[in-house]
Amino acid sequence: MLGARVGKACCDRCADATREFDGAAAARRRLLKAAVFRPGEEPAGRLRMSAPGSATAALQPQRVTLPGSDDQTPPGAPHAAAMPGPEPEADPVGAGWPDSALLPRAVCGTVLDVSPQVLVLDDGGVERRFALAADAVAWRGAALEPGALRAGDSAVVRLPPGSRNVADRMWANLGRVTGIITERKGNRLVVDEGATRDRQVVVIQPRVAGRIQVRFPTLEPGYLIDVIGVRREEELDGVVPATSQPTYPADKPPAAPLISRYSRTVISGSATWHEAHDEPPTLLGVCYPALDPQGRCAEDAASGSRRGYERLPYLAIGSVLQVTNECSGNACLLPVTGCGPMARLFNDRCVTCGTSPRGRIADLSLAAFVALGGELERGCFNATITVGA
Amino acid sequence: MFCAVREAQLPLVAGLLLCGSAAKLVQLFRTGVVGAGSGPVVLFPTRLRGPLAVAICVAEGGVGAGLIVTWGERGTQAPTFFLRLAASLLFIVATCALIELRASRPDVGCGCFGDFSTTPVSVRTIARSAILAIASLVTIRLPPLAVPKPSAVPELVMICVPELILLALLSPEIGEALIRLGYSEPCELHDVPVERTVSALRRSKQWRRNVALVSSDQPVDVWRELCWRYLVYPSGYADGQADAVFAVSLRQRPPTVRYALVNRVTGQPLQMPARAPGRWRGWTGGLPARASVASVAAPVQRTTGRGQPNLPFSSDL
Repeated sequence: MLGARVGKACCDRCADATREFDGAAAARRRLLKAAVFRPGEEPAGRLRMSAPGSATAALQPQRVTLPGSDDQTPPGAPHAAAMPGPEPEADPVGAGWPDSALLPRAVCGTVLDVSPQVLVLDDGGVERRFALAADAVAWRGAALEPGALRAGDSAVVRLPPGSRNVADRMWANLGRVTGIITERKGNRLVVDEGATRDRQVVVIQPRVAGRIQVRFPTLEPGYLIDVIGVRREEELDGVVPATSQPTYPADKPPAAPLISRYSRTVISGSATWHEAHDEPPTLLGVCYPALDPQGRCAEDAASGSRRGYERLPYLAIGSVLQVTNECSGNACLLPVTGCGPMARLFNDRCVTCGTSPRGRIADLSLAAFVALGGELERGCFNATITVGA
Repeated sequence: MFCAVREAQLPLVAGLLLCGSAAKLVQLFRTGVVGAGSGPVVLFPTRLRGPLAVAICVAEGGVGAGLIVTWGERGTQAPTFFLRLAASLLFIVATCALIELRASRPDVGCGCFGDFSTTPVSVRTIARSAILAIASLVTIRLPPLAVPKPSAVPELVMICVPELILLALLSPEIGEALIRLGYSEPCELHDVPVERTVSALRRSKQWRRNVALVSSDQPVDVWRELCWRYLVYPSGYADGQADAVFAVSLRQRPPTVRYALVNRVTGQPLQMPARAPGRWRGWTGGLPARASVASVAAPVQRTTGRGQPNLPFSSDL
């Protein structure tokens, strides 16, 4: 009998990452970093949020200017960084952070009732009503009319920018499993998603087996899988392949392309999303595949491979990235909230709009993926991240 | 002249075949799979990809070695013709396969030189294969080759060098090889132990200058971003409501160190105290003379205080 491993505590080896991301600690780190560098010498300038369609413009001021030596500071002189001074730009505080007036927003809850015009959702004990947009679409394994949702469905509802009570997309009982196949028995697979998450059971029904095996031909232990489907209690009914399967076993990723000696601060690749297993469902954050191994949060992947395919600059929990959806043009700042042990094993490309470079550069929380204009059932979007923001 | 051009093709074709086979073998020994994820084999079902990739590797090595072995007197024997024909067929089939690969899997590299050939197939790659196919075809009816006379060497060089330059220009692998040859890992990717950072900090004049402000040798927070590692130490300054923040560059040796004194609660920078000879005016605390570097990798956990600005990390905007 195949079964999922249960009861594995989160972050057994991640002392820095608590079960709930500590936003205050991350904000404090950002303040301390700013205090150390003089205005204008920060590792990265303050970033403005870009409206849809202006992603390129948003990336213009983000070149990292590394601070120079302060050896010229006269001994005993007050440190310039220690003196509060005027900001170089009159940016409003919080510029660049997700803004519901500019970006879509995700709400998660349980469907209480649905009619052709209104959706009633239980959002953490609070009953919330959303008017359904005229072109609203739902998804539960396939595209549905919103009225086909059922009471009791666990739903992710997307609110368009600037709207607090209008829903235009709904995903019901949505689930995703990304990891290494550890066991297979018939059409049931046990998948290891990393040391900080429980093992998952994926069921591949015969009617969808062909669709999934077109993109994931090797459903054998040791190989990677990434499937989106419908949650049924502890199991996931696989419905669509999220991306394409790397051809190599998980413990033998190919050599990554070498990075030139010049610092890479703007990196392109694919951004995916993950289920909110041990984090608030509305958290806006990103699991980054290259946390500093010295930070005690660089979880080894189940394959034992610490270094995967994508070679990214080291960051820490609480570091801030600017993530841009190259398909929609949405961009915003997001904090690093966790490790992405599986993301770094994949060398796949995203083909949502054009073909992205190989490698996953960000594993977004569900709400962040929606805020950046991603379609959850597609699994990924072509993305650019700017580190050191 | 044309005969000399034809004669120059044989060593070029043989050499490239052997290089391709060797690169695939290196990939096989390093990763356990050979070309299963790149090259024309991806056009075949998964179960056939591995065997096909091995077959191609063996065929390239065998034909390349055969072309060299049949040099000189042995070139009069029948296998010579078949080896040259096989080389021609190999490149013709490869050209057609690359055209098909570019149409059906534009994201896949040609796999011609193992790990080096990960760049998606382009017109350059196809043109290179086509040129090698033509080069192989013109050698089929060549008489047996002999070691060139010294007088013919300059002519051969004049033929081979431009052709090699042309092939290099058509090879995306050259750029990859050059990067690997001159590669030096950027500091953003360099794994630097915390202990080394702390040792570097303790040796810096910025630390010595400000050590009196630090009240514990254990940092309360350590993190890294790109080429900088940040260490936060508690300070007794401002009635114990201050932290000393040090940023240590991981790029240079000796490293650049920057520092600031911040309010523990708000995180806002504080004015550094004016310095009196031998001690900080108004405060007599400080770190013991010999602070230990040990266990700095486990910073003291401290709950962040109230009143700190919180960022909109929730979508409840």
